[in-house]
Amino acid sequence: MIRIKGLHKFYRTRHGLVEALRGIDLEVEEREFFVLLGASGCGKTTTLRCVAGLEKPDAGEIEISGKVVSSPGKGLNIPTEKRDIGMVFQSYAIWPHMSVFQNVAFPLIKGRKQVPKHLVSEKVSRALSLVKLDGLEERPATDLSGGQQQRVAMARAVVTEPKILLMDEPLSNLDARLREEMRLELKKITRSVGVTTLYVTHDQAEALSLGDRVCVMHEGEIVQIGTPQDVYARPANLFAAQFVGEMNFIRGKVTGPGQVDSPLGRLRCPVPPACQTGSEVTLAIRPEHLILLHHPSQGSEALEGKIASKNYLGDTSLFEVEVNGTALSVKLPGDSDFAVGQQIVVVVAPDRWRVYL
Amino acid sequence: MQPMAAQGRTMGVLDRLLRSGPDGSTIFAGGLLIFLAVIVGAPAAMVALMSLRTGFPGEGGALTLVNFIRVYTDLSTYNVLLNTLLFATGTVVVALIFTVPLVWLLMRTDLPFKRTIYVLLTLGILIPVFLRTIAWILLLSPRIGLVNQWASQIFGLDHPLVSLYNLPGMAFIQGVSFVPGAFFMLAAAYRTMDPALEEAAYTAGVSKLRTFFWINIPITLPAIAAVMVYLFMTAIAVFEVPAIIGLPARILVLSSLIYTSTNPPTGLPEYGVAGAYGGVMLLAGLVLAYFYVHLVRQGKKYTVITGRGYRPREIALGRWKWPAMAFVMLYLSMEVFIPFLVLLWTSLLPYLQLPSAAALSSISLKNYRTIPDYTGALPFINTAILMVAVPFCAMLLSVLVSWVVIRSQVSFRGILDTVAFLPHAMPSILLAVGLGYLGLAYRNIFPFYGTIIIIIIAHTINWIAYGTRTTNSVMIQVHRELEEAGKVAGVSTPRVFLRIVLPLVAAGVFNSGIWISMLSYREVTMALTLYSRKNTVISTVVWQFWGSGWVPEVSALGVILVIFAVIVVGALRIGFSRVGEVGSSV
Repeated sequence: MIRIKGLHKFYRTRHGLVEALRGIDLEVEEREFFVLLGASGCGKTTTLRCVAGLEKPDAGEIEISGKVVSSPGKGLNIPTEKRDIGMVFQSYAIWPHMSVFQNVAFPLIKGRKQVPKHLVSEKVSRALSLVKLDGLEERPATDLSGGQQQRVAMARAVVTEPKILLMDEPLSNLDARLREEMRLELKKITRSVGVTTLYVTHDQAEALSLGDRVCVMHEGEIVQIGTPQDVYARPANLFAAQFVGEMNFIRGKVTGPGQVDSPLGRLRCPVPPACQTGSEVTLAIRPEHLILLHHPSQGSEALEGKIASKNYLGDTSLFEVEVNGTALSVKLPGDSDFAVGQQIVVVVAPDRWRVYL
Repeated sequence: MQPMAAQGRTMGVLDRLLRSGPDGSTIFAGGLLIFLAVIVGAPAAMVALMSLRTGFPGEGGALTLVNFIRVYTDLSTYNVLLNTLLFATGTVVVALIFTVPLVWLLMRTDLPFKRTIYVLLTLGILIPVFLRTIAWILLLSPRIGLVNQWASQIFGLDHPLVSLYNLPGMAFIQGVSFVPGAFFMLAAAYRTMDPALEEAAYTAGVSKLRTFFWINIPITLPAIAAVMVYLFMTAIAVFEVPAIIGLPARILVLSSLIYTSTNPPTGLPEYGVAGAYGGVMLLAGLVLAYFYVHLVRQGKKYTVITGRGYRPREIALGRWKWPAMAFVMLYLSMEVFIPFLVLLWTSLLPYLQLPSAAALSSISLKNYRTIPDYTGALPFINTAILMVAVPFCAMLLSVLVSWVVIRSQVSFRGILDTVAFLPHAMPSILLAVGLGYLGLAYRNIFPFYGTIIIIIIAHTINWIAYGTRTTNSVMIQVHRELEEAGKVAGVSTPRVFLRIVLPLVAAGVFNSGIWISMLSYREVTMALTLYSRKNTVISTVVWQFWGSGWVPEVSALGVILVIFAVIVVGALRIGFSRVGEVGSSV
């Protein structure tokens, strides 16, 4: 369990003091896989490094497994080496002067949780077989591929069976195919070890597929915490909507309860209670939630438009549709037979719209 | 059969070369390789030649091994070799004792005044070693040294308190002088180390001290070993300390022996003997250079450049801050402050004396005013010529070589790079002796003996290794596609070089040109070996003053030399740092 309360962190730069963290509050449950998601510079890595003790926060409190490890207010900061954690670095940080075995065994021999000699090789073998590196024990670390280094780093991080596993963009240095493969495996490994995981990434697909919960961060603040489904289906604000997944955005004005005037025409949509009649809003809708028809049909709200372009991607086709001079992006199955220039009808289910102030 | 096969192979190579067509860059690279091989190879060849001949340079006669027999059947030779070994080992030990903690303190901790310390270390390189040596003699000489004068005054000692005239004294002064160079080499290696390697150990629950011993030290070990080998290689060949302290004390090492063989105080020069000694030195240099290159390559395997701009967290020194600062100050005092203050004090007095009321009342600038009377303008003009010509020649060659090595597809570019690196292994005293022999023996094809040109050539060859290392790294930073884009746009290769490559590397080349200019300015070994009345430079004037026992005049000229170096370093920090940044951002 990790509990972070009111975390603040300042950096001194050439341009003066910069507030990297502006009051972070979050709680990671026991055995949960928790993902911090955000663009570079949003403070996600700083948060992680504060939990690791590699960075000293300026205010707030961090608790690991019920024990306060960092509390600048009380002058408390337990050094990294005394925290019960394992960490996987972006660069893997495999010690180049050691073999695979030595790398994984090092925490057991020199670290906080030293184990009797005869147990070392047993624990190392178990960790290596967990990451499917059996048989590579004697390989020098400098002779490993990127993917293998990644696995060694995983094994090294979990070999001491820490309560908390911290991962700092561990997949960002791998190529696309390997990354997807490792993503699945990462999830399996952390599940089987049953460790509480705090994971940092800028890749939203990674966050959605790995996380039990996802925390979207922006400029040192938390934007939204929720399950992946939650974050994707109901972004808390405009930033979250822009950052996670694709979205069409349309400016509009509230004209009545559940009714917005926009360049597309008058639309029915779930207007939040905070928006009064006359207030300016932004409507958002995902490309896959727009349906294209050749002819208008009864009973649903329909917008007439024209196909402006088609982008065939194999499994899907992306269409740009022009409705009343506004471009909408529409995602359909790859074999959809609409052609550029064709007149079509766009159908929207009203509850798919998201409305932001 | 065999010669035929060999001939066939040669023909094959020629054939391929011809069939591939007279490619412009291949011809250019070939010409460059031949030129470089000649100027780098000629001095070494001359050393080999003189070792196999007797008599004066230019006197023909059959080649003979008589020099080697004479030198290596003489027991005193082994004494000299042992001295050389002890001196070099001691030097390396002294240098590392100061360098390793300095690197760690400046690269990893929150030591205050880091920038100032950097500047002072840079300055330390530019203060000529012989000046520092002279200053320390003025302080610690058994007869005239200020410390010993003072000790006999206070304690009434009839024997000197300390003396510099022994092997440990020599190794100490030389070791202290090596520290800044070693520092910058090691710091560069440290900078490329991924800080996450340390952090990974902390997160694995390993304490800071254990991390230092089990992670930091082993990972930097190849770099430390490389620096050690480099220092050892240099220490075997250095001349200034062995000459200034060693010769009066009759402690001979290889370099001082080679010098006295070719420039004997009395009698005739014996180039053959110098060659026989030089052969060992050259061999040692080549072997050590091989090890050095090997170790550097080994070290590169360990460095991981991360994309992340994370600066490693600085270790808080806490209450160790002031002891650490005291250590740095101790070093800087030995390197810069004490030598400079001693020289300054002596330069203001009519003769060397302890500070006293009488001494203070006799302070004047007379020694400074009289310098031109003794020297004339020639040494200053010659030094100025060196400071312009040497960097120009060395950097021109370096840029051309680097361009071929880094950019072209020429098959023998690796050989070119190796040849350009070889002067690193060539002791400068041998380089000068070899060139001197060339000038004496082959006056008609190399008519430069006794001119400033021969010193320019010696310096250029000596710093081409340094020059190409820096231009290589600058050139690597210019993305190949920038050039290719020029070619695609239809611009010819020479124009691409002039209009695209040169402007992009200009700042970096300029910086290392300034550095070479300053190294040339403080160089004395080669200038002295090739000395004549016509090509005297400031450093050789100081040397001659010292030889004549003109202590106050030496000090005055020394102070001027140091102040000029201070001005140049200051100007570099202030004025050109912006140019440097442009170069590094390319």
